[in-house]
Amino acid sequence: MSAKAAFLSSLLLGAAAIAPAPAHAADILLGASVQLTGPVANTGRYYKDAYEFAVDKINEKGGVKVGNEHRKLALRIYDNQSDVSLSVRQYTQLVTQDKVNLLLGPFASNFVLADSAISEKYKIPMVQGGGASDQIFSRGFKYIFGTLPAASDYFGSTIKMLSALKPKPENVALLYADDSFDVSVAKGTRPLLKEAGLKLALDERYTTNATNFNSLLSQIRNAHIDAVLVAGHETEILNFIRQAKSLSVSPKMYSFTVGVPSADFRAALGKDAEFAFGMTAWLPSASLKDEWFGNAEEFAKAYKAKFGYDPDYHAASGVADVEAIVKAIESAGTIEPQKVRDALAKVNFQSLYGTIAFGKNGQITLPQTVIQIQDGNVVAVYGQEGFIKQPKYPMPAWNSR
Amino acid sequence: MDLLIQVLINGVLLGGFYAIMALGLALVWGVLNIVNLAHGAFIMLGAYLSWYLYEYGGIDPFIGLPLNAVIMFAVGYAMQRGLLNLIVRAPMFNTLLITFGIEVVLTYLAQLVFSADFRTINPPYAGNNTTLGSVVIPDVRLFAFGAAIVLTLGMWVFLLRTKLGRAIRATAQNLVAARLYGVEPRHLYAMTFGIGIGLAGAAGALYGVTSQINPYIGASLTAKSFAISIIGGLENPLGVIVGGLALGIIESLALLYVGATFGDVATFGVLVLVLIVRPTGLLGRTA
Repeated sequence: MSAKAAFLSSLLLGAAAIAPAPAHAADILLGASVQLTGPVANTGRYYKDAYEFAVDKINEKGGVKVGNEHRKLALRIYDNQSDVSLSVRQYTQLVTQDKVNLLLGPFASNFVLADSAISEKYKIPMVQGGGASDQIFSRGFKYIFGTLPAASDYFGSTIKMLSALKPKPENVALLYADDSFDVSVAKGTRPLLKEAGLKLALDERYTTNATNFNSLLSQIRNAHIDAVLVAGHETEILNFIRQAKSLSVSPKMYSFTVGVPSADFRAALGKDAEFAFGMTAWLPSASLKDEWFGNAEEFAKAYKAKFGYDPDYHAASGVADVEAIVKAIESAGTIEPQKVRDALAKVNFQSLYGTIAFGKNGQITLPQTVIQIQDGNVVAVYGQEGFIKQPKYPMPAWNSR
Repeated sequence: MDLLIQVLINGVLLGGFYAIMALGLALVWGVLNIVNLAHGAFIMLGAYLSWYLYEYGGIDPFIGLPLNAVIMFAVGYAMQRGLLNLIVRAPMFNTLLITFGIEVVLTYLAQLVFSADFRTINPPYAGNNTTLGSVVIPDVRLFAFGAAIVLTLGMWVFLLRTKLGRAIRATAQNLVAARLYGVEPRHLYAMTFGIGIGLAGAAGALYGVTSQINPYIGASLTAKSFAISIIGGLENPLGVIVGGLALGIIESLALLYVGATFGDVATFGVLVLVLIVRPTGLLGRTA
């Protein structure tokens, strides 16, 4: 694998040196390396679409006001082929060769974890909406900002809902993949379960990209688990649900950190996606006002019209990253990275994604709304104020659907 | 106890699928001495082919299995005839390099053509199962297991009893002698590779019905097929069944008793053990 990556990356870096035309001299150049190919491309591509969509819209509305002049945004995006070491090289190139002014992030915590070392080293702020692991923000870095809420709290609202459900589930299983994000989720979830008085009857870490969940599913049935919480990746969760069906494993509920809000995940599973719980920090509601897009609902419509799929929180978070940079530049009155960094630490504005304001560690705080797939639609069922819509619980056995 | 029995059954059924997956790789490796690193990519293509046949042609993935295998056979035949025959007698490194290249090209072409969207082949019966007491047997896996046995035995009979099968084995054993008896190696190599790819196509269809399809599933399937081929041995198709079953069972037990991160450790641990103890595979003749 690494030989392949090295070979391809040398090709790519070679091509990059001659490819894109330089941005207009007065443009503010934003750089990012995202996963357009490779195993993570499925989600990585959302960020490219989101960044481009936001940049086009902001330019269309007059661009960015820097001091007394209006300047346009320009983007430089590289494909890191889902390879962390290539993405680190590309960020280094973006900063040292392409001389980008500011950085946008890649998708996924393990990428952000590595790439933020570059933004820190060169003191160029990176605003990213793809990495939520608490590890990213616990190193005292000053140049990394994140618009995904903390991984450790992903299941927070779900666990509150579990306590409010009738009958209250007794035995809970926690399954998580062995990567930075999912380990952070598991770490944060255990104390929350304890507080809620729920018994953690099965606590298992599994290999990233695992395809065989038969043994875990058999254990879930054997231990009479009521609620299954899975922190993993979409490929694993697709396999998990399909194998659960084929083994007739039907707990009272299951919830997944990813997949449920994503359109192609639901399309791949069809009817079998029904009743699955998930969470999202963002729903396209008209009450989320935005300076450029009007509101989140209008944004979602325009986005779907352009790209042909519904945006989920990844896309919204990516757009919020660009907006945060613009707001920070405008309040700093300059594009000097250190000053923009200080302005980013202070931004506080309403966006289609919610209120953007970063904590001391650089990470945003947003509540997670519990969602469930009901009749093929993503439905918000539980939020800060309690139940929004009655969840379908307990979910019916596979043979009575 | 129920748990153990259930997990053993899961392992056996998984092993059946593993066997189909590895059968084509082992055949090509054993006869042509080509370790086809693109094998998993062909499984991926077979899975997409079945997906299209099902979604757009309304052809059930199981009924479409022979059609899938025939189309993939043609692809394999053409690829061997037009490309791989050029390097079939070249050093091992060249064949590794070219099949690796084919893997990269197929994977990235697949992303261009099919996009990175996840797909599943999901006919209404895909999740059906049969309950025996407290044990659940997924129907599709059972069918895949049956297909593995049938295909392997069929392959065995084909290689031992038919003229073409004998010619294939003869070419593998002694090219000069085979040519003296009128065997045309270029055609024969292409037939062999075609059969291997046809089997990969069939495996892809079964994979799509039980798992999920995206352009990047190939590499790990190649790795697993490789391990199974070595564990079972290349001389005899029955070895692949043994290798597949052994791996399915060991992996499932390791996931249960050692931990859910130990599946690959078990797979490649067994591989290393077999290489040390029986380098010709479990069913291979000892030198």
